[in-house]
Amino acid sequence: MKISIQHLTKIFPSRNKGGKEVHAVEDMNIEIPSGKLVGLLGPSGCGKSTTLFMLSGLESPTSGKILFDDQDVTTLAAEKRGIGLVFQNYALYPHMTVEQNIRFPLDNMRIKKDEGNARALDAARLVQIEDLMARKPSELSGGQQQRVAIARALVKMPNVLLLDEPLSNLDARLRLQTREEIKRIQRETGITTVFVTHDQEEAMSICDIMVVMKLGVVQQIGEPQSIYDDPANLFVANFLGTPPINIFKGKIEGGKVYVGDEAISATEHEDQEVYVGIRPEGFIYDPDGVFTLDLDHVEVMGRDKSVVSTHQASTKPTVRCIIDSDVKLPEKADKLKFNIKPNKLFLFNGETEERIR
Amino acid sequence: MADKNAQDVSAEVETTETQQPASKQKTNAFVAFWKNLGGKVKGVFGGWSNKSPRHVEADLVLNQQQQLSTGEKVKRALKAQSGWLFVAPALLLMLLFTFYPIVSAFINAFKQDLDLTGNYSGWGFDNFVHVFKGDTGTGGATFVQCLINTLVFTLVSVPLSTLIALLISVALNSIKAVQKAYQTILFLPYLTNSLAMGAVFATFFTLVNSGSGTNVGLINQFLGLFGIPPTDWMGIGAPVWELGDAVKIYWTKYLVVIIYEIWSGLPFKILILFSALQSVNKQYYDAARVDGAKRSTILWKITTPMIMPQISYLLVTGIMGGMKQYTAVVGLFGSKMGLQFEVGTMVGYVYQYIEGGSPKYGYAYAASLLLFAIIMVITFINNKITGKRSH
Repeated sequence: MKISIQHLTKIFPSRNKGGKEVHAVEDMNIEIPSGKLVGLLGPSGCGKSTTLFMLSGLESPTSGKILFDDQDVTTLAAEKRGIGLVFQNYALYPHMTVEQNIRFPLDNMRIKKDEGNARALDAARLVQIEDLMARKPSELSGGQQQRVAIARALVKMPNVLLLDEPLSNLDARLRLQTREEIKRIQRETGITTVFVTHDQEEAMSICDIMVVMKLGVVQQIGEPQSIYDDPANLFVANFLGTPPINIFKGKIEGGKVYVGDEAISATEHEDQEVYVGIRPEGFIYDPDGVFTLDLDHVEVMGRDKSVVSTHQASTKPTVRCIIDSDVKLPEKADKLKFNIKPNKLFLFNGETEERIR
Repeated sequence: MADKNAQDVSAEVETTETQQPASKQKTNAFVAFWKNLGGKVKGVFGGWSNKSPRHVEADLVLNQQQQLSTGEKVKRALKAQSGWLFVAPALLLMLLFTFYPIVSAFINAFKQDLDLTGNYSGWGFDNFVHVFKGDTGTGGATFVQCLINTLVFTLVSVPLSTLIALLISVALNSIKAVQKAYQTILFLPYLTNSLAMGAVFATFFTLVNSGSGTNVGLINQFLGLFGIPPTDWMGIGAPVWELGDAVKIYWTKYLVVIIYEIWSGLPFKILILFSALQSVNKQYYDAARVDGAKRSTILWKITTPMIMPQISYLLVTGIMGGMKQYTAVVGLFGSKMGLQFEVGTMVGYVYQYIEGGSPKYGYAYAASLLLFAIIMVITFINNKITGKRSH
């Protein structure tokens, strides 16, 4: 099912008189093609969960429209939207067994017992918990509870599957495993899926489309790789990538980009103050390079090396460069010189922080 | 050489094992007693939290590994007994005011013709026989009559008032405006004297023919609006169903008592259930809504099971309290609980033998032991039923 979000806005009134109202989501416009896995990504408080709850019908928007295919569902009650929702802490009913939990939506739809049992079993098989049907949620691990929650959301064959921070309560290993699982389930069912996360790695790894948000405003929409390679502004560039991008204060003067005293790149843009962003993997070690960093130490990761250094113009305490482990670095050195890969260097306006393209 | 060492060590361990627990055993006996009791009480009351036995074991292991001087051992032994010091005040009071009366009631129930000075004529089951037969010579209602009265009052009013309290709590929980005000109003009856409330209730239901005309209470006036003639709800001429020879059901009087008990039981139940509801995570309701559950489904399939521990607590304590009902009926019908205890409760039945000119203490003791046994059986059954339903 295609989802289209038009001028969606949510304003929470202030609790006390004269206080500030909170603009949780502002003028959001997104078209989500049918059958895609979409990630809403942003730091906490950016309105991503609010958006999800508006899609589910549990929150009603202040203004704007939500269309499922061509049907306007903006005012439709949650239970009539045909959505499956997985809560952050799963919200499994503690007094029901796994089977009863999964069957609960079907019982509400007055589906016959035999058919209900068959569908519940199918859903359980899909998430591989068919052996746990007789257990209570308290007897399950976090990962298993997660699966039950997904099965409960899927059993009614929803048009849209919504997941609120589905992986945040799992440990690191399980998180990796489960996110692949979610991808697999989404592929197998072909259900349009929207999920919320604050973990950019998680979003990058499984999304077809990624929506980056900040303070209720959509910053950029696109495929993960294209957003990474072509960030719209300083915030997006900063938010994506581990280790994060290195940001320097610099300027454009006479067709050259200066960081400190060094001209590190050529440009066609006008003279102005800029932020220069360089991805960690954008450094090439070269004794005759154009960019000098004060070396602090080198971390060996096996596959590659992480050179931790400092630079006076850096906006962060350290500058991190990832270079191939085959590259030989001088044993003792205070300074290292690098060349910069042009496609890993981004310029941002010094005031608006928008990308200079 | 190595073998000998190993033997020595094991010998040492053995001696410490035999010497050490001597002091330890007493504490363990103490702990074990409470644990045992806890285990048994658990069967009746549910959820009695026991401290893990691991602590005790860990202590033992620790002690086995160390060699202690005698002085140190004595010190530790005393320290281990210091727990008694902490429970002593409570224990003393309980012994004096709880255990002693219970034990003496057990003993006195078997003394014949016991009087106020403690004189009695002999031992036997006479008191019980008289109580059962009903020939206790005071002209009051029989034990069976009072038992049936109490059972009907309790088993009708407690579940009903719990149900009504649940519905009110759910309604209260779903409103935001003036919630606090409603909460206060609903709690007010709890602060009111039950005798006073009983007297007010009694005037609601009156129908008195006096010289100056008919005094018709509020309820009769209300029914009069619909053309229903006034009923004598509480008086001498109240309608009766007869069960066998001895037992009479004054159903209008029953109705008054039950309405009163439901109403007066509400505040506390609402207080408990409302706070239980507030602690239920709202996300369950959201989840249920998304799952397409109707309001009634949410109430019975989600909300109620979630607060089942509190509901069963209210049922158990409510029924225990109901079986000991006294003031409500006295408030409504006076200290004779009707004309001659015809709507008497079991406690009222017990009480009639210790007041007045010629008290019969033996009968009172025997009747109260029977009351005790009945409450225990009911509580046990109650717990079996509700214990299964709470998660």
